[in-house]
Amino acid sequence: MITRYLTLVALRGAVRLAGRLLRAAAIAAALVAAAPVSLVAGYSAALAWLLGWPPRRLYAAALWCLPMVAVWLAWTGLRAPSGGALAAIATAPYHAWLSMWHLGAAGSVAAAAVTIAPAAIPLGLVAGGLAWSRRIYSMRAGTGGLTPGSPVVFDQRQWWHQVRSARARIAAPGSVPLTTPSGDVVAGAVIRAVGHPQRPVAVLPYARLRSHQVVIGTTGTGKTTLLLRLWAGFMATALRRHVAGAGGRPLLVVLDCKGGGDSRRVADRARRVLRDAGARATAVWPDEASLSIWDLPPGRLVTTLLDLIEHGSGPAAYYADVMEAVVSLAAGAPAGPPRSTADFLARLDPGWLAAAYRTGRHDSELALIGSAARQVPDVALRFRALFRRLGPGLDGPGSFADADVWYCILEGTAEIAVAEAQARTLVDLLASYVAHGAGRPGGSAPEVLLAVDEFSAVSRRLPVWQLYERARSLGLAVQVSAQSWQGLAGDESERLRIAASADGGIWLLRTPHPDPVVALAGNRPVIDTTRRLMGAALWSDEGSSRLRHTPVLDPDIVRALDVGQAAYIHRGAVTFVQVKRLVAAPAALAPPAASGRPGWQAAVMPASLPGLADPASLPGLADPAGPVVPPDAGPPRAAEPGGSPVLPDARPLLDEAFGPESR
Amino acid sequence: MTLSTAKGARAAPVRLTERDLRGLVFTAEMYGVQLDLLAGLLDLAPAGAGRVAARWRRIGYADSARIGPGRPWVWLTRRGLTACGLRYPAVPPALSRLAHLRAVAAVRLALESASGYRQAEGYWRSERKLRARMGGRVGLREHIPDGEIHFPNGRGVPYAGECWAVEAELTRKTVIRTAAIMRELLARTADYGSPAAETAVPGRPPRHARVLYLCSPAARPTVARAAGTLGAMAPRIEIRNLPPAAALDGLGCS
Repeated sequence: MITRYLTLVALRGAVRLAGRLLRAAAIAAALVAAAPVSLVAGYSAALAWLLGWPPRRLYAAALWCLPMVAVWLAWTGLRAPSGGALAAIATAPYHAWLSMWHLGAAGSVAAAAVTIAPAAIPLGLVAGGLAWSRRIYSMRAGTGGLTPGSPVVFDQRQWWHQVRSARARIAAPGSVPLTTPSGDVVAGAVIRAVGHPQRPVAVLPYARLRSHQVVIGTTGTGKTTLLLRLWAGFMATALRRHVAGAGGRPLLVVLDCKGGGDSRRVADRARRVLRDAGARATAVWPDEASLSIWDLPPGRLVTTLLDLIEHGSGPAAYYADVMEAVVSLAAGAPAGPPRSTADFLARLDPGWLAAAYRTGRHDSELALIGSAARQVPDVALRFRALFRRLGPGLDGPGSFADADVWYCILEGTAEIAVAEAQARTLVDLLASYVAHGAGRPGGSAPEVLLAVDEFSAVSRRLPVWQLYERARSLGLAVQVSAQSWQGLAGDESERLRIAASADGGIWLLRTPHPDPVVALAGNRPVIDTTRRLMGAALWSDEGSSRLRHTPVLDPDIVRALDVGQAAYIHRGAVTFVQVKRLVAAPAALAPPAASGRPGWQAAVMPASLPGLADPASLPGLADPAGPVVPPDAGPPRAAEPGGSPVLPDARPLLDEAFGPESR
Repeated sequence: MTLSTAKGARAAPVRLTERDLRGLVFTAEMYGVQLDLLAGLLDLAPAGAGRVAARWRRIGYADSARIGPGRPWVWLTRRGLTACGLRYPAVPPALSRLAHLRAVAAVRLALESASGYRQAEGYWRSERKLRARMGGRVGLREHIPDGEIHFPNGRGVPYAGECWAVEAELTRKTVIRTAAIMRELLARTADYGSPAAETAVPGRPPRHARVLYLCSPAARPTVARAAGTLGAMAPRIEIRNLPPAAALDGLGCS
């Protein structure tokens, strides 16, 4: 009995082995018979493996071969005897195959290759694509490879191959432009895409930069490089749109809330990079440029001034009320709002206030001044101390209309209280500029991108989510960046609120705690396969598969990202990008200061320039005194009452050259 | 001016006249020129222009062929361009641009023949020269005019000191595209080839005081409508009909 069983087992084994050998022989024969196709397929699949290409790239290459195939078939049809063109075209691949073998047998290898190429190359590419696709699928499903660990090794190798290809792409000159012809921003080369279409370069539609974005990455991971590229892309596209009349003038406001020397180095780099992108001037606040808090409308000015001073609660609320009354009186005096810090501080005096309101129509205000007269010196003392700490950066002159880029450095590390007050004021100034259209006579609304870095360090008085909501209502795009998830905002609900409303996507660079963002990115279905263990280090090809959900964004990849690599998460899909670094032009010498304005302002704009938002506001158009030709062109021309310059009459010349024109 | 026709000591010298120089440089700057326009430029009869072109061919400075409707076209060879000191690629005029090239050359000739232009000592800067200044950096969306005219200062004409952009419009574009081109030209503040950051800098004087549009009857309504959308900038657009000589034989100006 045992002998019979063993014989049966041996027979079954022999039959199985014979079947496998037969199958292998048949496959080998088919491969040899279709040798050219097999060669192209093998080469293309190997190339795709080596370079980490997706199969669709091979299919696309096959499609690009179609013109060649069409020409070849047309030529075959034309050469055929009359009436036999269709038959000749239908049998062309077979005849080419036969000819290839005959030529090969005769030793004409090159001629054989040329004969079969039109048919073999596209077919081989398709076959290679299918084989590569099958391989990827089997590895993803866990059914490929000799051991259950093979898919892991395969994936890891593919990652490195994809990284190598992406690095090669960004190193190739001209292969990763800043923007596409349609105005989309190119961030870098795509390493891998999950859910997004896998393209060679990571293209970000301009509309995403006009939505809220979040950028998270620790120091030294390439966050600044990424931000600079996004800012430059925004500036280049927005300027192009503006010149074409499709949008308002762009304005990029960066609030760098770390401060110190590092922020100043980044500011210098940003200035050079953005200049190459088309920005006419970058104002670095408060080092080189200033803004004026006194440009705020009176009502907003009172609120902002009161927010700058910290008030206690309980009995201290009484002093807050007194302070509000005094500041309202000073800011709303009949003589007009204050124009400078000195002007405002001078008004915080009972005598000045009483004199200002003694017009006969302000009895109630005079009564208020009388009752608060004892507290006014205290209020003045507090504001004097506040303005001394704030420095001259908010005392003007200057407005956001003066430059395309405002890089504001807040000393959030060294002087938190001051930075908090500055942040609050800058946001108020920007909101006022956008809402009230300062410096934009009749122009379209500016396209503003507000980029805040480590804002949580200074967000005690203005929570980030409030900034978000305010920006949304004003049509501003906000880009919040932080070194970690915790740095986004003060508490978890606020962080989730910010990340969840990032319509423009989330950029995640290397960070040790990517899990909250991973959870936000969502899941995708994958096939999970088990294998039966047959013995030590030996697995059979039997097992079971099930569908399970796994995160779209692999947190371990994020933890291991190299410098310059980022994961872009948008709509439940992720693209890993090798960011292309923008090489900035050498630093330019600062132009000399003139007419009391900071050097950069004096260099790029005349003091009398009324507005910069619209091409029509160029000097010589909106500015009646502005020259319409280069300054050395001749005497200035008079302007029409409407503001347009009167161009000299060129009709005689044109009539002579092209004939008289009927008008 | 005497030049040698070939490298080496045995090369026979060639005497070029002022007329030759004017014709060679004009031909180089306009990509190529048809013989009848060359005749107009050199103030010769067509047969005389043909003889001049044949001489240029003989010395290897030019090539000519009947590549389109009408009279043969003449263009400069690498040797001719080198002799003129111009580093343009030596290629024949593109067939798809023949009508446009002829129209621009006719516009330039019409202007240069006007006494007002000569009195102003106007200087034509061709599209080819502008492109050469840009190198390979012409953006996909950047528009280069068909020519620029510079009027030097202090020449006793009202438009002295101005720089004009010239556009020859044979075919209809969309109003939006035409208006965008007009805005771009009028807002430009820097020379071609300057850094991108200086292309349109608010606060600086515009480069082009005005843009001169020479239109075919078909294109004129679109150009006029586009100019009408420019608001305050509209007075800086001058629109005229293309001169009759702009028509490529057999194609007309439409």
